[in-house]
Amino acid sequence: MTDPREVAGPERVGDTTGPVHPAAPAAPKVPDAPSASPGVPPAAPDAPAAAPAPEPEPPADDLGWRRMHPVTPAVKGWKVLVAVIAVVVWNSADEVRDLAGLLGASVWLYVVGAILLVALIGFGYSAVAWRMTRFAVTDEAVHLRTGVLFRQQRQARLDRLQAVDVVQPLLARILGLSELRLEVAGGSGSAVSLAFLREAEAEQLRAELLARAAGVHRSRRAAAPSPAAAPAPAPDGAAHGTPAHPVAAPAAGPVVTAPVPPGQEPDADWDAPAPVAPEQPVYDVPIGRLLASILRSSASIWLVVLAVVLVVVVVTSGEIGSAFAILPGLLGVVSYTWSRFNRGANFRAAISPDGIRLRHGFTEARAQTVPPGRVQAVQITQGLLWRGRDWWRVEVNVAGYGSGGEDDTQSANVLLPVGTRDDALLALWLVLPDLGTADPRGLVATGLVGRDAADGWAVAPRRSRWLDPIAWRRHGVTVTERALVLRSGVLTRRLVVVPHERTQSLTLAQGPWQRRLRLATVQLQSTPGPVTPHVAHLDERVAAGLVDEQATRARVARAGAGPELWMRRA
Amino acid sequence: MSTPDLPEPVVAAPVADPDAPAQAPLRESEPFEPEGVAWTPVSPRLATARLVVNAIWLGVPLLGLVVAAALSGLVGLWIGAGGVAVLLAWVAWLVPRQVRAMGYAERADDLLLRKGILFRSMVVVPYGRMQYVDVSAGPLARQLGIASVQLHTASPGTDASIDGLPAAEAARLRDQLASRGEARLAGL
Repeated sequence: MTDPREVAGPERVGDTTGPVHPAAPAAPKVPDAPSASPGVPPAAPDAPAAAPAPEPEPPADDLGWRRMHPVTPAVKGWKVLVAVIAVVVWNSADEVRDLAGLLGASVWLYVVGAILLVALIGFGYSAVAWRMTRFAVTDEAVHLRTGVLFRQQRQARLDRLQAVDVVQPLLARILGLSELRLEVAGGSGSAVSLAFLREAEAEQLRAELLARAAGVHRSRRAAAPSPAAAPAPAPDGAAHGTPAHPVAAPAAGPVVTAPVPPGQEPDADWDAPAPVAPEQPVYDVPIGRLLASILRSSASIWLVVLAVVLVVVVVTSGEIGSAFAILPGLLGVVSYTWSRFNRGANFRAAISPDGIRLRHGFTEARAQTVPPGRVQAVQITQGLLWRGRDWWRVEVNVAGYGSGGEDDTQSANVLLPVGTRDDALLALWLVLPDLGTADPRGLVATGLVGRDAADGWAVAPRRSRWLDPIAWRRHGVTVTERALVLRSGVLTRRLVVVPHERTQSLTLAQGPWQRRLRLATVQLQSTPGPVTPHVAHLDERVAAGLVDEQATRARVARAGAGPELWMRRA
Repeated sequence: MSTPDLPEPVVAAPVADPDAPAQAPLRESEPFEPEGVAWTPVSPRLATARLVVNAIWLGVPLLGLVVAAALSGLVGLWIGAGGVAVLLAWVAWLVPRQVRAMGYAERADDLLLRKGILFRSMVVVPYGRMQYVDVSAGPLARQLGIASVQLHTASPGTDASIDGLPAAEAARLRDQLASRGEARLAGL
């Protein structure tokens, strides 16, 4: 990404002078009220090296800087405490024990003292950080100022908005607070996190941001042109083939009543509530099915294997101690299983004019909104043990979600943790309401379980069995008007769908054995995420033709793709 | 945001036959030789650069082994030196061939890159998908007057770097790519 975020240190005050009085850099800034007196001079304008934004930024004072909720430091401070203790315990448990031996009886005094000190530092730092953190929302972007010593101003352009999440860790949830997280696909750590806001405020701000990102900016005078006016037809399984889709529906009837010239209008009507787009539930995941699916996952197989090994080792060696060697593996399996459960619990998916809404989480509640057209690729998979129940898991690539580290990736990229085939079809329909084929159900069915060439699938030829004796019948690819569909896998079945306009680049690859057998592999590059679309061992001429055709198709689809402001169809 | 030369109604046109898509893509020519594409080779000076690097990496241990073997007279060291010498000869034979196999082609809407002899690959990067372009040259490359251009899309998996471009050509390509990318940029 060239410019979705702007990292600049506009306030040199704190940079060079080191640990100045913490309040000093904040002092010249505006008080909380957005109605700042325009005469306050010292706040520097935003960095001129900013993105090629259409309009110059209004001076910092007009943005209407706001603060996070004052309880934020109390919630964040705990994180510091827990992190410090965890690091100490993990890395230097032995030294701590030695130290405890040295100190003797008064050890508890020191422990409590140290914890208090760390807590004091943690909460104190969080409080200072809270004081220095402000955000503002304009028509074009969300601005965030953070940093105690090293000041940072970040600007997330709303037309580059990839997803908006409302995250509630357990403690914040108890206190009724939420974190609002904006993904803008700027690479690692580019997300803008507004933590913490009151729950209602976060919801309101999300609606506001999505409305602005959609290009439905509310004018100063007119009543809000609400996306709520949009009809949202009930998405049931039967609605699958119908090309009419609820996401496009509101766009058809232009809702934008007063096309306000973008920019230059700060938060004029901030207080007027933005309409919350209505959402239509599509599917949910019963807790029983989730638990059963975890029992039937590969993790449980590993658990059984480890348990057997454990028993065998203990019995043969006669020592309990030798069992500890297996402990790390066991912990891994348990934590994997727990995260699967924690993230899949209470899973509900809904559709709204703002895009796909996902809510899930057992301890940490997360509500994701992925605007239309932001999903780069979809993958439907089925492990071996899920086959009897015909259960499927659906994952997506969304730019920005992939870069948040392992932890984030697992929870954010799941569109359906486990579901029936109908659920999986619905999930696919959420992403691609129109698959571009007359019989989407049939196409998906052949993609999920089919093998060999039939129904328009181009498959790996028989000679590829030398390279892939088990799965060669499953490797296949087919093309619809809207998307490229790839399938693979016998033990773990896999179906990948990539909309044509989301193709980043294409690779045709051929190794020495493939060359001898006149085979080639086609890869599509997608944004970071769990889905890596590729089809192996096609006939080399078919593969080359596919690359040629797909390059053309992707180009044409891009040209016809909707604008980034998805409500503002030009 | 849409390209001026591509009006919207074209959307469904090239995919004329959705019922039998498997039959549509089939290219008769060589798979790594798309029709009407004139590949531009990279500069042979890249081979020089890579050989120099390899010569240093392999030549220094070779020298050390030879000296050690001559001093000690151990057969094992002589065998080791012989192995390294064979490796060096193989690299000297391979690298120029590898460099000759590399090439790129600018088409109207995308850039093609190809490389590899044993493991061949060809990458198609649409101009509209490029997020930024890197031009870099190390001290040795600068001495030889070559540079490499790397294209970045939103996907880290896009392996699109052209090594060994003459410096002027690298600058031209960078500007060309940047302007074409800007003209065709379409979101993500």
